[in-house]
Amino acid sequence: MSGRIATVVIVGRDAPLWITTAAVQRSLGHLDVAVQAIELPSLLQPVDVYSAMPAIQGLHKQIALSEELIIAAAKAVPLVAQRYSNWAGASPAWMVGYDDPPPPGSDVGFVHYWVRGRQEGLKPAFEDFSLAASAAKHARVPVYQDGSELSAAYGYNLAAIPYSLLLKAHANRLGVRVESAPIGDIEVNDDRITAIVLASGDRIEADLFIDASGIEGALIGRLPGSSFESWDEWLPCDRMVVASGAPIDPPPVYSQISAFRAGWVGLYPLQDSTAVIAAYSSKHISQTEVIESLPLPARIPIGGDAVASTLRRGVRSRSWIGNCVAVGEAAIGLDPLESLGLYVTHNCISHLMALFPVRAGTFPEADRYNREIALAGQNLRDIQCAHYALNRRFDEPFWDQCRDRRLPESLERKLEVFSLTAHVPLYDEEPFEEQQWAALLSGAGIFPKRYDPRIDVAPDEVLIQKVQQRLRDIAVTVPNMPSAAEFLKHGRGRLEVAR
Amino acid sequence: MNKPLEIVILGGGTAGWMAAAGLVSLVSPKFCRIRLIESDEIGTVGVGEATLPHLKNFNDTIGLDEAEMMRNSRATFKLGIQFADWGFHGSRYIHPFGTYGSATSGSGFHQRWLRARAAGRDWDIGDFSYAIVAARRNRFDFPETAKATIASTYSYAYHLDASIYAWELRKLAEARGVLRTEGKVRDVLQDAQTGAINSLILESGAQVDGNFFIDCSGFRSLLLGSKLDVPWDDWSKWLPCDRAFAVPSESANELTPYTRSTAVEAGWHWRIPLQTRTGNGYVFSTGFTTEQDAADSLLKGLDTPALDEPRLLRFKAGRRMVNWEKNCVALGLASGFLEPLESTSIYLVQIAIMHLLPLLPLAGMDPRLSDEFNRKTNVEYDRIRDFLILHYHLTRRDDAEIWRYCAHMDVPDSLKEKMELFRHSAQIEQYKDGLFTLPSWLAVYLGQGLIPSGYSPLADIGPTDRVINDLDDLRTEISDRVDEMPSHSRFVERYCHTRQPWKLEPAETQL
Repeated sequence: MSGRIATVVIVGRDAPLWITTAAVQRSLGHLDVAVQAIELPSLLQPVDVYSAMPAIQGLHKQIALSEELIIAAAKAVPLVAQRYSNWAGASPAWMVGYDDPPPPGSDVGFVHYWVRGRQEGLKPAFEDFSLAASAAKHARVPVYQDGSELSAAYGYNLAAIPYSLLLKAHANRLGVRVESAPIGDIEVNDDRITAIVLASGDRIEADLFIDASGIEGALIGRLPGSSFESWDEWLPCDRMVVASGAPIDPPPVYSQISAFRAGWVGLYPLQDSTAVIAAYSSKHISQTEVIESLPLPARIPIGGDAVASTLRRGVRSRSWIGNCVAVGEAAIGLDPLESLGLYVTHNCISHLMALFPVRAGTFPEADRYNREIALAGQNLRDIQCAHYALNRRFDEPFWDQCRDRRLPESLERKLEVFSLTAHVPLYDEEPFEEQQWAALLSGAGIFPKRYDPRIDVAPDEVLIQKVQQRLRDIAVTVPNMPSAAEFLKHGRGRLEVAR
Repeated sequence: MNKPLEIVILGGGTAGWMAAAGLVSLVSPKFCRIRLIESDEIGTVGVGEATLPHLKNFNDTIGLDEAEMMRNSRATFKLGIQFADWGFHGSRYIHPFGTYGSATSGSGFHQRWLRARAAGRDWDIGDFSYAIVAARRNRFDFPETAKATIASTYSYAYHLDASIYAWELRKLAEARGVLRTEGKVRDVLQDAQTGAINSLILESGAQVDGNFFIDCSGFRSLLLGSKLDVPWDDWSKWLPCDRAFAVPSESANELTPYTRSTAVEAGWHWRIPLQTRTGNGYVFSTGFTTEQDAADSLLKGLDTPALDEPRLLRFKAGRRMVNWEKNCVALGLASGFLEPLESTSIYLVQIAIMHLLPLLPLAGMDPRLSDEFNRKTNVEYDRIRDFLILHYHLTRRDDAEIWRYCAHMDVPDSLKEKMELFRHSAQIEQYKDGLFTLPSWLAVYLGQGLIPSGYSPLADIGPTDRVINDLDDLRTEISDRVDEMPSHSRFVERYCHTRQPWKLEPAETQL
């Protein structure tokens, strides 16, 4: 068994399965690697939504799936920012926008200029200096990337079932063999899967198995040495309810995330409806109460189709065991905050492809994959944890507990260093750049005590000029972006040609 | 508004003056005032005459004119380091300051090269690195700034006289307001409760107060090591060299745009071409040779006549457990020591300054600032350490005890895993913080004879003929383009020719 990997079997369901399958097939399918997907019964409901930050564009490019199809089929609406309201008493809502990071080697981050300005009476909030947040407020889509220093990106809110079906059709087109059947049994020898036996009795062998089955961990969970590290302590919402609401016209290009007394409610605009997700702590509120009270924070009519499910938050101690690699939620479980779900799958696949095993039967790549995924998971968790920990809803037991909890050390360092210096310590495998972290932390109410002393070497006029210029640039750039309606009508491709 | 931070730098030399020049140039005087104490009697150790490309950024940032700095410090350009007899006898490779492949090849280039190799094309991977080809032919020119061209795939550093470089920094720092005090430290006064350093008492009796101290006192580590008792993390079991002899010799006719490092019987010889002389040295281990034999070995190995007697330096590989303790940061040799095999000394000073600036304790000491600084600088040190160990460990030489020892020593797990994955599938780890990136690891692995047994299946995309043709075209393109470059000697002559003859300062040792 020292030959190349000749057979890859991917077990899973819904978008993570098809994303993985398409990515593996696109990279390896024409290299005499037989890629087979085993589709488990879908867990999706008509009300479900996938919310994806801009990194999804890279994935779509990699698997050659056109945006036009996605927009048409998945009722997609571009996603430029997340808007948070009611997380901090009477404080105004704030946004985390998908600004592109400044080119490497440029000046210190803009947040330092903002902190300096605020100290001297500057009024605008940090998000006013975010091109993405401004685009979101004006319902514009940052489609043009002309290499200027100020640019932003967008992801999508996607109707889950049609998006999965689109991906499935795409995987089929790419030539993947698909078997739709529940798993009967798994034959394991030592820490290797020798075969999967389907309920139909078919026995399927492979050199490499990929588990894209979601939190169930249909394969990885049955291998020895797979323990699960829970993050319940830091991500306190253990349940979620999804429902469908009336469409908002025109659909906002941001998700609206409102905290309520025992969790939060998110509005995810789609073309013909609005997906509504409530994540909550079952210790503090009942499911019935959540469903009954949904329309209030949502502020739109809600259908009677709410579906509840359990959230499993945590990471597997080993996501790659023997010849089995877990991707997506089979490796890292999060809550739906900040739209990180599909990113987890995508990120796992990127790591897997970069480390794709050279030989069947021996997998020294596993340790590095496990370390990278654990680190990525920690950083993703910290993003969500920061929202809960920094809430300023006082005298509500759920939120009081969120504030009082001990933080993960990695996050504590971020919060402390940011509040002292306006710098954000970044680790390997960070999904967010400094700009997003600064938006999140400053939005959630941390005002840094100081800024990077280096910016003061320039004379005051230069600093003022720089800050004003940024506002002017944003004011000029945003109106030139297509509106969400134009974008949805014409698609990016034609808009670019027309330009 | 807080009062300005009173920063006291103890020790001149490259580290001290880099800190002084960096701080005074990049931080407004409303935040800090800087005083540097150095003694004319204490010789400095010029840490590394060979530098890394990052130094250009530092100089540009503080506004030190490149041509003038080079002219004054007798500098030449550096495109990489040539390693001879490392790994096995007769091996010769260049670790380039640049990538392999074209500007758009990406991180998978070496995987495609391995594929061509598996198909029978036994090409030297160095032929695909613009920096290496230019270095081999003694050519130099500035990199192109256009993004996608082959001549944009490299950067450059300098070979320079580090004590003159420090002098240039001193001129700049003093002109911008750094106060220099001549004198030796007799005593250090600490806060009885916190142990923080309050003042330095000089032998003249003068007392220098400060809020924040930067220890650039060299190996003695007077403040961080001696006074604050920060423990030493000893790495000599992996990096056994503990001495160096250094000697200048006459300059060579042809200036190589690279440093040469030759592995010998108990360590390695360096050769660094400056305009007016050649810097030479022998880094060795007293576990495997004697000082006398080492001095003889060095002199025997010179390409040009010696200009002086060899001078000896003693050291140990390792670092202080933390480089910031209480109100004191150590830079340079006071913070730790890694032999100059990969010219990292000045880089470590520079990166520590850059990590320090945003974390300066402007509103009083705070352990959260020092924790973050220590986290970042330790990552830098540890990753460089692994890279240096690789040079020693990855060897098939069995003609000398030191190489047998290093080949069989137990290396850190972090390095073991890196080597195993490269051997297995040519995988190279990528990380956010840390100096050496993919091309550096690749150069040493392949150069010292670790040929992967497999390569990524993803490199099998596309027909083999096309991959081979593309590589062949690239090789030709690089070769042709390098031929258009001026010679290094001529470039130096035109850009930064030194007129002053060289003379050794009495109190300085070059390493």
